[in-house]
Amino acid sequence: MNPARKIVAGSLLAIVVLTALLFWNPRNRPSEAARRPLLVYCAAGLKSPVETVAREYEQITGVSVQLQFGGSGLLLNNLRVARRGDLFLAADSSFLDAARSNGVLAEVIPLARMTPVIAVPRGNPRQITSLRDLERPDVQIAYANPEATAIGRVTRQALERSGDWAAIQPRIKVLKPTVNDVANDVKLGTVDAGIIWDATVAQYPELEAVHAPQLDGSVGDVGIGVLTFCDQPAQALKFARFLGARDRGLPAFARAGFSVVEGDVWKERPEVVLYSGGVNRVAIEETVRLFEQREGVTVNRIYNGCGILTAQIRAGQRPDAYFACDVSFMTNVASHFRPARELADTRMVILTAPGNPKGLRSLADLARPGLAVGVANEQQSALGALTARLLRAEALLSNVMANVRVQTPTADLLVNQLRTGSLDAVLVYAANASGVKGVLDAVELPQPQALAVQPYAVGRSSENAQLMTRFLEDLRSPASRQRFEQSGFHWRDVPPAP
Amino acid sequence: MTSPSPAHDERGNDARRLRHSDRTFLICFSVLAGSYLLLLVSTLVADLFYTSPGHLWHALQSAEIRYAIRLSLLSCTLTALLSLWVAVPIAYLMARLKFPGKGLADALLDIPIVLPPLVIGLSLLILFQTPPGRAVERWIPVTYAVPSVILAQFMVACAFAVRTLRATFDQISPRHEQVALTLGCSRSQAFWMVVLPEARRGVLTAGTLAWARALGEFGPILVFSGATRFKTEVLSTTVFLELSVGNLEAAVAVSLLMVAAAVAVLLLIRTQGLDSALGRPL
Repeated sequence: MNPARKIVAGSLLAIVVLTALLFWNPRNRPSEAARRPLLVYCAAGLKSPVETVAREYEQITGVSVQLQFGGSGLLLNNLRVARRGDLFLAADSSFLDAARSNGVLAEVIPLARMTPVIAVPRGNPRQITSLRDLERPDVQIAYANPEATAIGRVTRQALERSGDWAAIQPRIKVLKPTVNDVANDVKLGTVDAGIIWDATVAQYPELEAVHAPQLDGSVGDVGIGVLTFCDQPAQALKFARFLGARDRGLPAFARAGFSVVEGDVWKERPEVVLYSGGVNRVAIEETVRLFEQREGVTVNRIYNGCGILTAQIRAGQRPDAYFACDVSFMTNVASHFRPARELADTRMVILTAPGNPKGLRSLADLARPGLAVGVANEQQSALGALTARLLRAEALLSNVMANVRVQTPTADLLVNQLRTGSLDAVLVYAANASGVKGVLDAVELPQPQALAVQPYAVGRSSENAQLMTRFLEDLRSPASRQRFEQSGFHWRDVPPAP
Repeated sequence: MTSPSPAHDERGNDARRLRHSDRTFLICFSVLAGSYLLLLVSTLVADLFYTSPGHLWHALQSAEIRYAIRLSLLSCTLTALLSLWVAVPIAYLMARLKFPGKGLADALLDIPIVLPPLVIGLSLLILFQTPPGRAVERWIPVTYAVPSVILAQFMVACAFAVRTLRATFDQISPRHEQVALTLGCSRSQAFWMVVLPEARRGVLTAGTLAWARALGEFGPILVFSGATRFKTEVLSTTVFLELSVGNLEAAVAVSLLMVAAAVAVLLLIRTQGLDSALGRPL
């Protein structure tokens, strides 16, 4: 063979082999062990949509789904005793709340929203058209016990707010322990009307719903929860995701009369994109890894300076979630995200050589002549912007800037330069210094301007919003909080303003 | 009288002076050359003081790092080969052909060298958001996946390979090629049998340069590929991420692994490399 052919053939072969090696990732092979059947405790009222969806799921994935039907309360008792099974699909959120307070429930994937309505027999023989009609002396109603049921509790609160409770209370003939008992009473004709979920009405062909605007704000949720003793969470969550997917399970619920939530788009193995400020990486990386494992998903994480991340977002990138270095780097892209939750904060510190040889105690000390100081660049980073704001507020900007030898786009460069001994002090976040605890000395700055707050937000247009909301729950967990605190952050967890 | 004639003496002095000046010249050059080598070696030694065998061992123990090593080596080699396949035709055509707009093409080829790395990453990201980019993504996921690593490396590495090969082909006189053509070779035969063997040293240099550039590349990768563990994390991003939290020891440990890998591969290519493919020593 002539050398030319040898080179061509050899290099092409090498390209093919290398490409094959790149895509052959031994870690990504699906494990066969995951084909065990799933055991789902399912409220009887949800039987028809869930059965349809479960059959479809079995066809697609080959995993069999065993459904155990029963009343939600009964199922809850069963599973608490049996302590086995994977998922619990309750008729309303009160049972999920009960399961959670019993410590048997982990994640919940919302499926549908229920609104309280007035249930009357089909044809509405007593001509009940509004809440006012329930106050008529000739009308008798059944009511779900406000102490025991979610519907009773939320509707009583709503009626008290609207001022109708006092007039309706005398018309209550009987308090019932579950919402289905109320529906049964109306169906049998023992009462003229009852207040129940619209989804419950949809399960009774004999009933008809009368809409009451006063009750609209008191919604309840149908959701499927993963049980804490489930030993195949990735498989369980996969079925739950299928059930809660806007293009898979949810249409079946909508056909059954539920007003469904805005679910994620179904993917066998979802891939999501998480943007995160570099400073947050150490605090979240382990949480991300555990989340990937538990959910059976891939989180593509992009760590960078927040200036660069927001520039990418403004250039059209749409991450599924964004964990910013500071609220100031969330507000300028806020329109692309849902309301942000503030998870942590970190204070700015003066970082010095071990033992603080120059005796630097305050910001004013940094203005001492002859010091070599490093700060972050005001335009390029959140830290730099905060630094400038702080120095301006303290009227120290020009004096300290006279000592500034270097301005960097990121804090890590400052820490590393300080470590190599080329600077006397740098202004960084406490979280930047967590990796060098014991190697460098940190002096905390008490000023209110010296605080950076890290918010997390889910992308407005994300097709994986539910998934990323579950990730937020993981970020809020005690284990995650501990990782934040170990990484030099101060825990915060402030919900978004309504 | 057998005393040496003045003429002979002068010739001897000349020779001595010459030898003396040769020695001075070589010593001067050796000192200059050695100073750079010394600088390189001292930085490595200084690095060693910033880490410990424990850190190196810890780095090698971690499955993430082992994956990053594997991905780095595979992607760099692939990038280097792809770069050569593209750079050889570009450099050859640019060296041999005259065409309108050649100056512009020349300038365009320098763009990846001139652009800040982050901008290259951002531009790739934007490109794959356009309708044609999205169409490609439907078939092969690129953004934030392994192909994005190769593409980001290729963008920059190829430009360096083109520069090197351009100089190589420019320096090879077209005479041999023309002789081959007059002896009945086709253009392609002349290229494969005459030009390429003559350019083998340049091709080798271009290949190693592309490989090394790809290994060190991280700006575009960070933007275009992310740093997802077990997926798109390469050694250079590991170093960057460890540095970004002030973990100098780990960053230096991984850097030393990179140096070791690079030296090993470059030595292997220099000693084995193309001569086996061409059947003759360089």
